[in-house]
Amino acid sequence: MVRPFSLLLATAAVLLAPAAQAASEPEQAPKKTKAPTAAHPWYRPRHLVLQTGGGLGMVAAGAGYAYANNKVETDILLGYVPKRFAGSTLTLASAKMLYSPFTVQLAEQWQLKPLTVGAYFSYTHGTLNDEERGQYTKGYYWFSTDTRYGPLAGGRLSYVRPGSTREEPRHVSFYYELGSNDLYLISYAQNRNGLKFGQVLTLALGLKADF
Amino acid sequence: MLNRLRFQPRLSLLSAAAALALGGCEMLEFSPNDYRSPKSQTDLTAKHLERLRQQPVPAGDTLRFVFTGDSQRFYDEAEDLVASVNQQPGIQFLVVAGDISDFGMGREMRWVDDHLSKLKVPYLTVIGNHDAIGNGREAYQHIFGPLNYSFVYGDTKFIMVDTNSREANFDGSTPNIPWVQQQLSSLGGARRQIVVSHVPPQDDDFDPSLRQSYARTLKEAPKLAFELNGHRHSFSIGQPFNDGVTYINSSAFSERMYIVLTVWGDKQFRLKQVKF
Repeated sequence: MVRPFSLLLATAAVLLAPAAQAASEPEQAPKKTKAPTAAHPWYRPRHLVLQTGGGLGMVAAGAGYAYANNKVETDILLGYVPKRFAGSTLTLASAKMLYSPFTVQLAEQWQLKPLTVGAYFSYTHGTLNDEERGQYTKGYYWFSTDTRYGPLAGGRLSYVRPGSTREEPRHVSFYYELGSNDLYLISYAQNRNGLKFGQVLTLALGLKADF
Repeated sequence: MLNRLRFQPRLSLLSAAAALALGGCEMLEFSPNDYRSPKSQTDLTAKHLERLRQQPVPAGDTLRFVFTGDSQRFYDEAEDLVASVNQQPGIQFLVVAGDISDFGMGREMRWVDDHLSKLKVPYLTVIGNHDAIGNGREAYQHIFGPLNYSFVYGDTKFIMVDTNSREANFDGSTPNIPWVQQQLSSLGGARRQIVVSHVPPQDDDFDPSLRQSYARTLKEAPKLAFELNGHRHSFSIGQPFNDGVTYINSSAFSERMYIVLTVWGDKQFRLKQVKF
């Protein structure tokens, strides 16, 4: 339990340190003006992500894109779960689509996105018993062992790193996401007395940094 | 009095914060296959066997227990079953004949335990095929315990066997026939034996290459009272191999019916169906 948190903290320190330094430096940027499109070609990810939980890994890291004035994001993550927590070492590939409609400016350099909604999809590699060819007749188990998808909702707090005039400001954000998956939600939908909504929720905590 | 009143809100705030922190830890799930569980929801088989040891039935006394199976994804029914079983007088424990979970996930096993832990009596389980999906076999061992185990309660030796052959891809390992033979060859101080497994040997999901030797092993056990199974979701009793061995299949939780089994003498028993 301790390890993912300390990892997150360490990464936060690393990410924030250059920002603090940049903030204290006097404005002496060279006068070479570059078009923003050249600095950020379309295929270059806008941010890096590191998170724990959410069913996507003890540690999951990846990159993502932002569009529509940073209101919509796509993040691609690769997660890892050690054997002692799941019975076998798991590698999870996942993708998230996120929509954050509101931004609240808390202070000059602090922003709050109070609401993020989205959905994710994940594929787990390394599961022990996930159907060998011919093991089951068609439809024996109607669900997939390794593919999960589900909704997400959360929020984030961002520190805005001052960018130079030619650049967009860069954010370092801490976020949380509450989520669930298809199988947990089916279980809840069919057992409104026997299960409470809180029991089917998962929590993810993470960091996101523009670069 | 006043002091107490002032103290209580602080205490409840503290416990609320503690509950949130604990809940948060559990919510921080690494994968649906992540089986980390609070201490109170690990090694449940050993814990319930210890409870049984502390409420011994005197030798020669009647054995009475509730037999059910397949709790998978039937949490509403689990709640009602617990309420009903808690009304039953004179029962000593409850047996779930496998398929605790539906998707082989640790969280589901804990959801079922959230209900069954409210039983007044201990409960024991055997692994089902659904509990062996994905990393379920590992989750089951972490939360409940061994896949094959036996225990003696009063005059009865219970032998709990993993018969989920299809999950082992019919590789000849499941059920472990030598282990079953060894268990049936001793009574451990009991006068009779009861075998409990999830998939019944006459089922298509039982390893066809092991079916005859399994049935023969049971037939050749002179002290065997009967075998208990789940998997088929509906109650039945019969001798599918016409060899004198009685097989009783439990109802799933969804059928809203369980069985109360009363056993005495060498192998005499009475069976009562209870609807809930």
